[in-house]
Parts: sequence; C-alpha cells; structure tokens
Amino acid sequence: MATLIAIVEDDPDQRANYADAIVKKGYETATYASRAEALAGFDERIPDLAVLDIILGPEVDAGFQLCRELLARKPTLPVIFLTERINEIDKISGLRLGAWDYLPKPISLDYLAERIASLIRINDVRTSGEDSVSPSARRVGGLVLDQDALLVSWQGRRIDLSATEFRMLAKLVRNPGHAVSYETLMQSTMQSLVTHNTINTHMRNIRKKFEREDNEFAGIKSEYGFGYRWTVGD
Amino acid sequence: MRIGSAIHGPRLVAKLMALSVALLVVPWLSWLLLVEMERALEAMQFRQQLLVAKGISTFLNGREDLFADLPIDPEDYEALYARPITGSARLDGAIEDWNDVDSHVANAFGASGGTADGSFDLSLGDREGWLYAFLKVRDDVRVYRNPKSLRLDGADHVRVDFIRADGEDGRIAITASQAGVTTAYPMDAEWRLAETGAPERSVQGHLVETGEGYALEFRMPLDMLGSRRVFGLSFVDVDDPQTRAIRTVTRTLPTAGEESFGLVVYRSPEVLKIIEGLGYAGYRIMVIDTESRRRAETGGLDLGPRPPAETNWAAIPRGAFLKTRQWLEAFTAGDADVAQDAEGAAEVIASALAGDPLALRRHAGEKEVIMAGHPIVGAGGSVIGLVAVEQTIEDIETFQYAAIDSIVWVSVASLIAFVLAVIAFSGRLTWRIRNLRREAAAAIDEYGRLRSAALSSEIHSGDEIGDLARSVSNMLTRLRQHNHFIENMPRTLRHEINNPLNVLSTSLQNLSEDVADVKDSRYLESARRGVLRIGAIVENLADAASLDESLQAEDMDEVDLEQLLANYVGNCAITHPDHGFLFRGTGAAVIVLASDYRIEQMLDKIIDNAIDFHRAGSAIRVQLDTGPEHARIAIANRGPPLPRDATGSVFESMVSHRGPDNRLHFGLGLYVVRTIAEHHGGTVRALNLTDGSGVVISVQLPLATGAGKAEEPAQDHSSRTA
Repeated sequence: MATLIAIVEDDPDQRANYADAIVKKGYETATYASRAEALAGFDERIPDLAVLDIILGPEVDAGFQLCRELLARKPTLPVIFLTERINEIDKISGLRLGAWDYLPKPISLDYLAERIASLIRINDVRTSGEDSVSPSARRVGGLVLDQDALLVSWQGRRIDLSATEFRMLAKLVRNPGHAVSYETLMQSTMQSLVTHNTINTHMRNIRKKFEREDNEFAGIKSEYGFGYRWTVGD
Repeated sequence: MRIGSAIHGPRLVAKLMALSVALLVVPWLSWLLLVEMERALEAMQFRQQLLVAKGISTFLNGREDLFADLPIDPEDYEALYARPITGSARLDGAIEDWNDVDSHVANAFGASGGTADGSFDLSLGDREGWLYAFLKVRDDVRVYRNPKSLRLDGADHVRVDFIRADGEDGRIAITASQAGVTTAYPMDAEWRLAETGAPERSVQGHLVETGEGYALEFRMPLDMLGSRRVFGLSFVDVDDPQTRAIRTVTRTLPTAGEESFGLVVYRSPEVLKIIEGLGYAGYRIMVIDTESRRRAETGGLDLGPRPPAETNWAAIPRGAFLKTRQWLEAFTAGDADVAQDAEGAAEVIASALAGDPLALRRHAGEKEVIMAGHPIVGAGGSVIGLVAVEQTIEDIETFQYAAIDSIVWVSVASLIAFVLAVIAFSGRLTWRIRNLRREAAAAIDEYGRLRSAALSSEIHSGDEIGDLARSVSNMLTRLRQHNHFIENMPRTLRHEINNPLNVLSTSLQNLSEDVADVKDSRYLESARRGVLRIGAIVENLADAASLDESLQAEDMDEVDLEQLLANYVGNCAITHPDHGFLFRGTGAAVIVLASDYRIEQMLDKIIDNAIDFHRAGSAIRVQLDTGPEHARIAIANRGPPLPRDATGSVFESMVSHRGPDNRLHFGLGLYVVRTIAEHHGGTVRALNLTDGSGVVISVQLPLATGAGKAEEPAQDHSSRTA
C-alpha cells in the first residue's frame, strides 16, 4: 500500500497545488477542506503523515485540534503544520502537541516534498525500535546529533527539537566556536521568507529547550549584528 | 497649562459675575414698587382725610349761624384779628417765631399813619388759650419805671383795658423798669396806682429796645377777656425822666371812652365744641371761614423734628438710601410736587372755598403733612367755610422706611448670597471642566496613541458635563475599537494576503514543473521575486504593528551594553565590509535591564539608517557613555542633516524623509527604534551634529542599579516568562 499523505487545507487552490506536488513524488494523498471532513476521512484510514493548516475556515485553531486527535489515534504519526505566522509556533511548542515540524507560508513545494520524504524516513528509523545511537550520529562535546532520526541529546538527555530547529542547530555546530551568520541560518530553514527576527525566535526556542534540561546551558551565544556561535563542548 | 494662549475670552466665572449684575434690577424693581405703594397709600390717606373733612362738614352744612356767633356785632368795633400762631412764640420781644413764614399782619396806630413819636404797630395772635400781642413802638426817649415810685404812670407803659368775664372793667398796665421781663399790674380807675399792689402774673411780657424805640411781646389768658372778648390797648409815652409827665397816649381806637374797645376776633367756640369730639391724636381738624380765619381747631400735630434715627447698623443703608431718594424720585416719578407750607394751605383753602374738595401733601415744619379741605355749604348753597383735616404722613413714612430697610438688606444679602453662589458654582463647574479636559487630554499621548479607552471622572454626573464626559468617553471607546481594528489590520492583511500569495507561489512552482518551456523563463523568475517582495512587505508591516505586543512577551535580562556594542560593531565590519565603523565605549561594564535581541534589532535599524544616509567613505561612529542613571548610545554618521522640523517626527510610524523614490520604505525603521527604546524605559532623539555635517541618533536607556532593582519590574511585563 502506498504511503498516504493527508492534506487539510481550506483553500482549494493551495490544497490542489500541494496535492499535485506530493502526488508527483509518488505518494498517495487524501485532501480535506475542514476539520469535520478530515475526521471522517481519518475514521476510514489513518494517514502515514499529515500536513495541517492551522486556521480552517471560521475555526482558528482547527489544525491544533486535528493534531491532538491524530496523535491520540497514532502517537508516532508525523505532523507538519502550515501556518501564516512564525509566532504561533510558540504556542504549538508550548502546547507540546507533538507536531514534528512547522512551515510558514508561503512555502516552497520542493522543500515540502523533501520534508515529507525525510520525516517518513525518520519515522521509519524511529519505529524500527533501535534506540541506540545510529552511525550517522555526530558528537560535539556533550551534544549528540542524529541526522537520520532527527534526534538530539545534550549530556545524555533527549532534547525534542522540530525539524527546522534541528537543521539550524546542525548548521550552528558544524563549525564549533565559529560564528554562523544570519544568512547561513536562514538557508538552513529552507524557507523563502526569513527575517532576523525569525532566526532569533527559533534560536530562543532552541535555547529554552536546552535550558529546560540543563539550567546552566550557555552553548548558544549571540554574535550581535552577525549571527550565532556554538561555544561549548570541544 | 499655557494660560496666555489658553484664554480666548472671558472665563466662566467672569461671565457669570457679569450676569449677576442683572440682579441689581431687584432693588430697582422693589424701589419702583415702593414708590407705587407710597402713592397708593397717599391716595388712600387723601381720600380718607377728605372723607373725614366731608363728614365733619356735613355737621356744619347750613349752619351760617355758627360763623356768625360773634358775641357783639362786629360792625360796632374795630376788629383786631388774632391769627393762629403755629410756631413756638417764645416771649422774647421778637415776632419771627410766631409762624413759620413771614406772614405777620400788623395794624399801625398813632398819628401820621403810625410814624410819629409814640405810635405803634400791633400784631395779635392766639395760641392754646393765650392771646399774644406784639407791639413795635416808636419812641425817641425811653423812660423806664422808677421802681421806688408807687406811681406807675410816670414812665413809658402799655395800658390794656377790657371787660372782664364778670362784666366789670379790667385795667392792666404793663410796665418795665428796664429792658427785659415786664410786670403787669391791675390798675385803679385813674391809671395811676396799682389796684392791689400785687402784679398780675398771668400777663407776661418781654421788652427789648430797638433802634426806633421798643419791641414788646406779651401774652394774657383769653379767659380774662370774658365771653365778649373785647379789649383796648394804649401806649403811654413819657419823655422827660425828671417831670415824668405823660406826653402822649396812643390808642387802638381813635375815640377815647368807655366803649372804645377793639374786638379780638378769633375762633368760634361753638364750632370748636362740635369738632372737639371728633379730633384725636395725629389729626388736626380746623374750621375756616370765608375770610380764611381759623374759627375752630382741635387735635394737634407733632411737627417737631423726628427723633434722631437709631444708631444701629440697620439704619445705615436707609440713611444712604434717603440721600439718593430725591434723585431717585426725580428719576422715577418726575419732579416731586410737594407744596411748601403756606402755599399748600392757601391752595387747599382757596379750592375748598371755591367749592372743590382738595387734598394735597405739603411740608410743615420738619415733616410732611397731608391736608384735605372740604367746603361747608350754607343754606343758600353758597360756601360758608371749610373743614380742613391735616395729618402727618408719618405712618406712610414709617412703613416706607421699614420697607426701604428690608429692601436694602434683602437686596444686599441676596446679591452677596447670589454672588457667592455664582462663585462657588462656577468654581466647581470650572474645576469639573478642567478635570475633564485634563483627563481627556491625557487619554491620548503625544504620538496620538490612545492611553485609556474611557474616562473616569464625571461619568456618573447627571448634568451636561456628565453628558459631555460620557460622549467623550464613548468617543474614546469607539476610537479604541477603531484603533484596534487598524492595529490588527496588518496582521489580518498578512493572513489574507499570505494565502493567495501561497497559492501564487505554489502555482508558480507547479507550473515550472509541469511546463518545461516555462522553467527558464525570466518572467517566472520575476514573478517569484514579486511574490517574495510582497511577502517581505507584509511581513515587515505586521512585525512593526505587533511590535508592542511581542515586546510585552519578551524576557528582560541584565545585559552588558559595552560588551554587546563592542561585539555588534565588530560584526558590523563583517556584515557591511564596504563601510567603516568606529566604536568608543566606556571601558567598563554598562549593565542595563534589556532584551538583547531587541537591542540588537534596534541597533540594526539605526545602523541601516546611518548607512543609508552616510557620506561614502566616512565612518559610522558608535559611542557609549553613562550618566548617573542612564546609558547613552550615540550613533553618528556624516551626511545630509535632517530638516529642522523633522527631528521629532522621524521616529513616528510611516514617516520617511527619504524622498519619493524609495518605495520600499514605510518609515518603520526608526519607529521600531523608538518603540524598543521606550519599552526599555528609555528615550531616543535625532539631532543634527553641531557643525551640520551629519546626524546623530541618541538612545538613552536607564541603568540597572543593583540586583534588587534589576528584579524590580521597571516595566510590569519584564517579569513575565514566555
């Protein structure tokens, strides 16, 4: 059975565009315009991955509710949020809904497809039951990055990062001790429209997630006016 | 408050005070009312007195006999008219005090028409049962009585002969041993010796010397004359003090003899009897005959000066008021036509004698009286006399004075009370309006942002100020809603635009996949760039619009500005390799409570601005220094100075001084700078360098003083966690 990607998006043009791009990559798609429609569809078949718009018609947080619904049925399901606003991501991470990634509109379809492929692959890796550090893991001091499984651990403790956050962190630690410019970090988000503010927001979220596990964490330093630097763990 | 520019006209207090002057119409109207009332009272008294006069006259109508009841046929006698004396008539040798006006009638006696030696002028008057006589005697040699001599005819003296009440002849000589008080003696038949040797004390007199001779004033009881009331009077002139022989005797009647008496004509006793019962205090009733002779009189008037006004303070305004009364009367009622004493009486008498009753007001002594005259009609229908009734207007005046007092005091008191009330009322009103204005002005800050969405003062007042406050408050609330709508506009816009933009973007991507020829088309590229640009614009707008809100969610930490700036300026050299940067710090840590991302964002905007405006090749200088409470970041660039009037407005949203060619700029950069600086409790200013060679943007941030203070929320949201 082909991999089924569920797309929930109230705008028919965008829905069709996503579906076209994804179908081209060889996936099967199920498209829904509203929460009710989507729930009905999920009753028939749980998808392998879901792409959710947050605002669906008059319901401003329909995407969050759907996410909760889906994860209740299938906790390992990868979920990608599509949203108009990066700041709303704060809410998502605050809710810890278990979404895997979030992409701000306007999105790049290539990147969407790539992200879908990547998440499905990672999910396969994760669900294969191997909890040991994979050979693709990279070690920088107390930090371990598993590129394949998108898993991060700091001094042995797991840090849950979104895919975007993972990419930015990976970029940052590629060259420890060296400052990484905003422009480089922007490329790592693989989004078309990124401001310094977006980077700052992401970086702050990453820092908070580390601090949650380690109060003394000070690995990410601001290079004011330029970018960021990973400073610990050589 | 800028008083000078704020006053455009009279203040409320002044206006109300001016209005309260209109209250002066109250005493004015009261005065008019008083005058009308006085007239009415006067008219009433006129009518009443006329009625009394008419009533009395009905008793006398047709009684010619009463006027003819003289004891002896007057035809047989020379009539000596005794006129009523209204004055004090002191015995002082002067006639001037008999009557108020100079209306004394004197008869001259003696040879050569009364000019020869020994001749005299005689005036008679009657007053309260006394017959008064005044003689003006011409005598070239004055000879007084020798007190040692028993003979009384050896000096100048006056003889009075009359018929006594018992029918016997009466003889009295009035003598004087010197000027001054005279002595009267009943005389023997020869007029030589005093009959009894005892003086007649009821006949009193006073003699003074005049240039021509003597003036003698004396009085005797009318009762002495008996019912016939006839008497004769002679002046006996003695010129030689040695011989003391009688030179001449000047008599009131030319013929000597027993019957040679003058007749004193005075009031009719019968008429008096009739009217006596009618009189009462405060009234004077007179019956006057056709010859204007007063035939009977009863009652009396107190014509003396009224007692001095009470010295209490209540009478003070009345005194002042009465002084202006003449003027006021002339102003309100035309000339006051209060007749003078004698003319008034004469007018009444003449009118009544002509058959017309008349009442008028006249002066009498110190006071004013109302005199009413009513004719007495005889049997044949002709007027035989008149009844005159006089009464002072004291009652009216008393009423008037009391009314004036109360009017003055009530007016003054009400005026003062009203003025005080006006001051209090307008003060309160002004205070309330000022409060309202202050609050309304404070509701919007200097940048036009709403600070509060409703007013708190005067909201519950029921009057128009309350209405105003409520409507202003409603206005603010609606403005707030509108502002809210506008503030949310960029976000709504982003949401609305991003979706079609996403459609556009994804469609372009699918298009380039589907149609191989299109993939390399430059149109596709420019379409993508357009999409990106629209996205950037919307993003920037939305960021700036929600800046305030996102700042609230920001964590504040202690940040070392010195280190931050050194790091930042160092990185600038990498990010902007074409431009030079200079940093001059303090050399020590400068700790402020801030969000470092936001400070960085603020610096980005200032540096962007400086780069845009700086002269090529010149360095951008960043300087940090500290004051006692503030850290100051100054970023200066060489280049065109700001227009003089633009130094304040560059920090406002949507204000750009870049000119019309730069379409991507919304003037948001420096607005972001200001918003961030103010969020950190700081200020920002744009100044031209003193030499005019460039611009400096200066940001002041409060220093974090000590750990305790750092914990203290300088902004109430600084302690919030995201």
